[in-house]
Amino acid sequence: MCDCQILAHYQYDGDQFILTLDSSEIAKSTIPGQFVHVTVSDSIPMRRPISVMSVDIDNGTFDLLYKVVGEGTKKLSESKIGDILSVIGPIGNGFELTDKKLPLLIGGGVGMPPIIAIAQKIKDTDCDPFVILGSEVPFPFTPEHSNIGPECDEVSHTMPLLEEWGVACRLTSLQGFEGVYKGYVTDLAKAYLDTLSKNELSKVEVFACGPHPMLEAVAKLSVDYNLPCQISLEEFMACAVGGCAGCTVEVQTERGSAMKRVCVDGPVFDARSIF
Amino acid sequence: MLSYSIMSRMYNNLKTSFCGLKLNSPIVLLSGCVGFGEEYTRIEGFSNADVGAICLKGTTLEPRLGNAPHRVAETSSGMLNSIGLQNPGTEAVINDILPSLDMDETRFIINISGSSVEEYGEIARRFDDTDIDAIEINISCPNVKEGGVAFGNDPEMSYRVVDVCRKNTSKPIITKLSPNQTDIANSALRCINAGSDGLAVINTLMGMAINISERRPVIGNNQGGLSGPAIKPIALLKVHQVYQVSKKYKVPIIGQGGIATVNDAIEFIIAGADVVGIGTALFYDPLLCNKINKGVADYLSKNGLDCVDDLVGSLVLN
Ligand SMILES: Cc1cc2nc3c(=O)[nH]c(=O)nc-3n(C[C@H](O)[C@H](O)[C@H](O)COP(=O)(O)OP(=O)(O)OC[C@H]3O[C@@H](n4cnc5c(N)ncnc54)[C@H](O)[C@@H]3O)c2cc1C
Ligand SMILES: Cc1cc2nc3c(=O)[nH]c(=O)nc-3n(C[C@H](O)[C@H](O)[C@H](O)COP(=O)(O)O)c2cc1C
Ligand code: FES
Repeated sequence: MCDCQILAHYQYDGDQFILTLDSSEIAKSTIPGQFVHVTVSDSIPMRRPISVMSVDIDNGTFDLLYKVVGEGTKKLSESKIGDILSVIGPIGNGFELTDKKLPLLIGGGVGMPPIIAIAQKIKDTDCDPFVILGSEVPFPFTPEHSNIGPECDEVSHTMPLLEEWGVACRLTSLQGFEGVYKGYVTDLAKAYLDTLSKNELSKVEVFACGPHPMLEAVAKLSVDYNLPCQISLEEFMACAVGGCAGCTVEVQTERGSAMKRVCVDGPVFDARSIF
Repeated sequence: MLSYSIMSRMYNNLKTSFCGLKLNSPIVLLSGCVGFGEEYTRIEGFSNADVGAICLKGTTLEPRLGNAPHRVAETSSGMLNSIGLQNPGTEAVINDILPSLDMDETRFIINISGSSVEEYGEIARRFDDTDIDAIEINISCPNVKEGGVAFGNDPEMSYRVVDVCRKNTSKPIITKLSPNQTDIANSALRCINAGSDGLAVINTLMGMAINISERRPVIGNNQGGLSGPAIKPIALLKVHQVYQVSKKYKVPIIGQGGIATVNDAIEFIIAGADVVGIGTALFYDPLLCNKINKGVADYLSKNGLDCVDDLVGSLVLN
């Protein structure tokens, strides 16, 4: 647990914010898929869980991307540079990065942050990841033309940060934004998978975070293509240390149904144990 | 061990006893908020040695999966929960969890729930043969269909539950009372008559929250138990009422319900609590216990009191 100072706080369309906090401990120790439990305001006692999107180990900072959906995130959005937030973290199991060389990373809405965190972690390895980010509100960044990855005039835009990291990425939305695939993340994922050879498919592992229906569709796609798939889940939380059993989801195990805590047993689960 | 010795050196005036157990601090961590005693130790700066005792998660005879999500929801100055007593069952707690607890750090209290009088008796009997320091009988859980608050709201049923546990164990018994009843003092009396060594006052109050866009209750189980600062004034009054009965029998109270500050803790002690329970507030501030230890210790010395006992029930009514 630590007090972190707000170093930057940018607003994007669609009530989305990127918050930079200082903590070299969290920057150093976070693995992709982990989250922090943040006190959003003096007037709201319960903390809010938010995923770590990226870390800057050299400067000892980390970034969060969040969307205002209710009172807590609204209060958080009113916090200013220089304010101090109490943060518990990093928390959770995080994604297990395997030796599969073609990771397919899928993020929907405010499920993008843990996906971006994986991209940051593996950008300098010999993996060749492909990222698909979907949003039905304007993206929390200004999409730009990409020079990396599949060439296609209509589906040409990416997230600038991922372009900078040299990670191939394409965007999807039903809204008809320029350079963005018109459809669901799973539609584009399917189109991408269909371009791969059998040998290439054997190197794919799917990682996803986003709304429940999206995760269900991603899980189904993974079954159809016989791919391993890890998904990151959300549930209401109280303690976020495993003490209250408030955040459980039903998981299928070898010994039948079990209720697992999203905060410490997750938030990442094998998609086949959930759907 | 280090923080244990520092603790006891720093706050000698906080040492107290409860139902014959020697405690380092008058703070008790409450059932259901701290899992099986190890979860919060993941947080740097938190130590079980800083509290007098820990009540473990509500345990039933057989394992329980608990209720459907959502199980928790924040409400004004508090929260609702409906966990539904998710726990691995008595045998697993005895065989797998108790052996892993560091019994030198603090006192551990098991919190038990049954779906029948006999089941309470059976669980008490099984824990009687373990290293657990005391048994807290939960007859006030609002979140299970059978048992729980159904026993706690009927003083005669409460009597029978405590009575059967008393016959099955020589460990100290603490009975956790429900605020969801008309005459909590009478209920306390019946539990004392049946042999309860201590009382825990209060468990959560039943409540509801509604999602207006879906017109559905937020909590999966529709209703839940309300805890946190929102219930403090109610809890304080209940402690005061129960104390009027319990003091005659010298039966001590764990005062609880919304304690989040040093002042809250002191108020409960003045109202009649021998020790104070902290649950929900730990979710906001996992390092709260040391602040309360320090605050209570300072208050005692400033007021010329040698120990917590000197403050218990010192309320002067208007
Ligand atoms: C592991 C994890 C990682 C997350 N990462 C992000 C992220 O990177 N960016 C982001 O924008 N959001 C993220 N969320 C969701 C975020 O926690 C909720 O949007 C936020 O708690 C809503 O709070 P509120 O008070 O604004 O909304 P309200 O709807 O007013 O909240 C009421 C209560 O419900 C809880 N709640 C409501 N929605 C959610 C939800 N989806 N998940 C968990 N609790 C919820 C709140 O915590 C609060 O206790 C994450 C959730 C989890 C569990
Ligand atoms: C998430 C949660 C789970 C709980 N589980 C139990 C339980 O298993 N057994 C029990 O006797 N009380 C349980 N309680 C009640 C607490 O032990 C305590 O009596 C109540 O929350 C009031 O204290 P507080 O306001 O400090 O939290 C639970 C409370 C919460 C918030
Ligand atoms: S939030 Fe308490 S166990 Fe996960």
